[in-house]
Amino acid sequence: MRLKLEKKAHSGLRIVPLTLMIAAPVLLAGAVLFEAVGADPLAAYAVMLQGALGNWFNCSEVLVKAIPLMLTGLAVAVAARMQLWNIGCEGQLVCGGIFAAGFALYAADALPAPAVIPILILAGFAGGALWALIPALLKARWNVNEIISTLMFNYVAVILMQHLYFGPWRDPMGRGFPGTAMFVRSAWLPRFFHTRIHLGLFIALGAALLLYYSLGHTTWGYRVTVIGLSPQAARYANFDAGRQQIAVLLISGGLAGLAGMGEVCGIHLRLQQGLAVGYGYDGIIVAFLAYLNPLAVPLVALLLAGLIVGGEQLQAVAHLPASISMVLEGCLLLAILAATVFSTHRLRIVRDDEEGP
Amino acid sequence: MDDLIFIVAITLKSSPAVLLASLGELISERGGILNLGVEGMMLVGALAGFVTARQSASLALGLCGAMAAAGLLALLHAFLCVHLRADQVISGLAVTILGTGLSSFLGRPFIGQTGLHFSSIGGTWIDGLPLIGPLLAQQNLFGLLCLAAVPALMYLLGRTWLGLYIRAAGQDPAAADAAGVPVAAIRYGCTLFGGCMAGLAGAYLSLAYTPGWKEGMTGGQGWIAIAMVIFATWHPLRALLGALLFGLLNALQFYFQATGIELIPAYILHMLPYLLTVGVLVLVTVLEKPVLGSVPGALGKPFSREE
Amino acid sequence: MKKLAVCLVSLMILSAGLAMAASQDFQVGFVYVSPVGNAGWSWAHDQGRLAVAKMPGVKTAYVEAVAEGQDAERVILNMARKGYNLIFTTSYGYMDPTLKVARKFPHTVFMHCSGFKTAKNMGNYFGRMYQARYLTGMVAGAMTKSRIIGYVAAFPIPEVIRGINAFTLGVQRMNPAAQVRVVWTKTWYDPATEKEAAKSLLDVGADVLTQHQDSPAVQEAAQEKGVYSIGYNSDMSKFAPQAHLVAAVWHWGPFYREMVTQVRRGTWKPKAYWYGLKKGIVDISPMAKTVPAAVQQKVMAVRQAISDGKLKIFAGPLSDQAGKVRLTAGQALTDKQLLGMTWFVKGVVGSTQ
Repeated sequence: MRLKLEKKAHSGLRIVPLTLMIAAPVLLAGAVLFEAVGADPLAAYAVMLQGALGNWFNCSEVLVKAIPLMLTGLAVAVAARMQLWNIGCEGQLVCGGIFAAGFALYAADALPAPAVIPILILAGFAGGALWALIPALLKARWNVNEIISTLMFNYVAVILMQHLYFGPWRDPMGRGFPGTAMFVRSAWLPRFFHTRIHLGLFIALGAALLLYYSLGHTTWGYRVTVIGLSPQAARYANFDAGRQQIAVLLISGGLAGLAGMGEVCGIHLRLQQGLAVGYGYDGIIVAFLAYLNPLAVPLVALLLAGLIVGGEQLQAVAHLPASISMVLEGCLLLAILAATVFSTHRLRIVRDDEEGP
Repeated sequence: MDDLIFIVAITLKSSPAVLLASLGELISERGGILNLGVEGMMLVGALAGFVTARQSASLALGLCGAMAAAGLLALLHAFLCVHLRADQVISGLAVTILGTGLSSFLGRPFIGQTGLHFSSIGGTWIDGLPLIGPLLAQQNLFGLLCLAAVPALMYLLGRTWLGLYIRAAGQDPAAADAAGVPVAAIRYGCTLFGGCMAGLAGAYLSLAYTPGWKEGMTGGQGWIAIAMVIFATWHPLRALLGALLFGLLNALQFYFQATGIELIPAYILHMLPYLLTVGVLVLVTVLEKPVLGSVPGALGKPFSREE
Repeated sequence: MKKLAVCLVSLMILSAGLAMAASQDFQVGFVYVSPVGNAGWSWAHDQGRLAVAKMPGVKTAYVEAVAEGQDAERVILNMARKGYNLIFTTSYGYMDPTLKVARKFPHTVFMHCSGFKTAKNMGNYFGRMYQARYLTGMVAGAMTKSRIIGYVAAFPIPEVIRGINAFTLGVQRMNPAAQVRVVWTKTWYDPATEKEAAKSLLDVGADVLTQHQDSPAVQEAAQEKGVYSIGYNSDMSKFAPQAHLVAAVWHWGPFYREMVTQVRRGTWKPKAYWYGLKKGIVDISPMAKTVPAAVQQKVMAVRQAISDGKLKIFAGPLSDQAGKVRLTAGQALTDKQLLGMTWFVKGVVGSTQ
């Protein structure tokens, strides 16, 4: 007897059963954990829900949290469309932040105020793209595994950033504490609705739309998809896969860089500790929960941000570790993986003698 | 000379976790399954090992607990990758996220508690051995046993039918299947083995190296282990070399500070292990298989008979 | 679906109502940077919180493991919104977020630990840990044979540098030829890294180790090597029973209780509170039996002198690492200079970068 995966006669699950299939085991796993530490699961989920959506302030904070997630989610998604694994969004985010901070610190006050924000956006994008450049070149030239190379560059970027704010960029007026000086006003991203929601939100939404359009409705997008789905077909069609790989990874890195720019110039207003807190890795979850669809990315980012902000409330109110949101994220990703398979296949127990040639 | 012995001793002692995890990953990858869940499995193993040893007052049971907990995560990964033919990269990442979250969530009450741990073998006749005495005295039994895993795995991979099966399942599963190799079972076994080794690696941290449970105590060593497999070009002996080199670079970084010699700025030294890994990765890829070793041909690709 | 929605909405209203109902008490909130655990920085603060919780009519709450970054401001703001009367934020990186929230909630009192900014309703506070460090340095100086003492430290910031300097001056009081070697880990909390750093110091011959870190890994390294160690934050003897000599410890309780009383009475002032041995906010743990009685007596006498204000630690003559004279006899460093200290005194081996 053994388990056998079979293709279903009519493939595809409806959206409602699919959602249930994903949500139910995830919530159940969380409930089991809450029980394990002696908490009431229903009450715990209620606290999380209230923490994420209980009032306008909490909702706005979910949006704030979602901004970097949207951008890194898009970054992972666009690369994955071409079967490229950009695990290096964290480093690209940091490098985008470094570039934006460098510009804001040393050039912004010399420029007319209206010019600063657009240049900051460019700097953030350029920083992220630059950090993706070496893995991209290695991949295109020698087919060097980008999972490891981008991952290793994450560590390097964080060390570089620390060196900068502990060393040459340290605020001379900061009494020796780590962190750069606060940026000049013109380099602060505008905020909206008296909350911390900043320009990054609109940059992220714009990027999602732009990617959706260019991936789905342009010849470039068509090429990227073809190269991703079938490198052989791409070769027949004479697409230059290498050049596209570089382009896609640069765009991907740039998007992550924008996320870093948004955090640095929209929230921290200086370069300091607390920038590399895992948005790059969360972006991978966002991208796959969104099935690599750029339009779905912002929605999934919101969901994940809600989970994180809600989990934090659980910690504040009920003293349960906020890491429950990580557990739920992991389960969510596993459930999605399984659901993707089960929407087209089913698992059957077969006896060995039953199996034909 | 004393300096040298000391550096070697530190290196030996700080590398077993990376070594164990990368040996496990190596077998898993040789069987064709990429396991990016090592970091999560290590954390779960570290917690489970510490807690089991503490509750049962037995180090051996602690190790079993670590293997069991991490092994369960590995089975989950194997089920998704082998039976469901799901994407191995995402599945591995999911396992890492899940493992990190689980260990942090369940481990909160154990932060800072003291429990059992392996102590160093010094203070006995071992101290008196010429040359290697002072070196060995600072090691513990667990760490030394880890070294034994290297020749064992070399023998297994190179000289036994099981090793042949494993290599076949990772190299060309279709051909292996035709030759009667139970590819699915082999891949399950390899992934499970990888998980158990990652669990042991975690337990090395929580029971031997820095005794006690600390949130996120692996500090990225799981990822380093994965990189080390490429560094090792899928060969156990070179995995040992990689783990030692990594331990050495780590030790050197502080050694320079402590001695007050600064040949290279500390932050550059700190970056070196990561940059070196990328460097070796490039070399391995550019020089291709015949020179250095073999990238398992079907690594990361699901296998099914029908297709 | 509709039922579910109704259910959820009523749950939300219920929990909001619960939060309101409890507001008669004086509410004190604490924000910690790491999990409380049972030995480190946040644990020491939480001991202080527990002391506050015993006061009648006072309710306390805390949030642990709040990253210094985007999340900090949200957590602090959430506390303020819930109507807390007094909020303590206990990590340097919370300074800007605390200030931002303080501006939005003028009727809440904020106290930020280890920074330097104040506002109408925000003060800052810290303890003169360097005084306790000086005392532990004396113990180290008396116990070292190799005249090399290892100091595993997190980040080169004034707080840490001040501690290293005071410790070194204490060492030299007992043993003028001894030197203190510093290794930076660039992390507050990473047991494996801390241990590797500790080992590198053992390697260069250090026979007493101390730390400005949150995990007991340095103590464990000393215990394994069979040398001495000096703890920080709390008495760490249980992690290294043979090695542990003494620890420089925090006692936040009395200070926190004083602040709560002042705010309730309306006598609280938004200023920088920087208490020392005298108020008991910092101290040393009981010394191990291995420390000779004569040394113990000497240390306790100096402790009394510092507490009485008779001994100033950073007083001239004082030269820096390079031998340049920073203070001549009769001069002393001001608090402002201490808070911004970025140079090592003579006898420290290591860089301040």
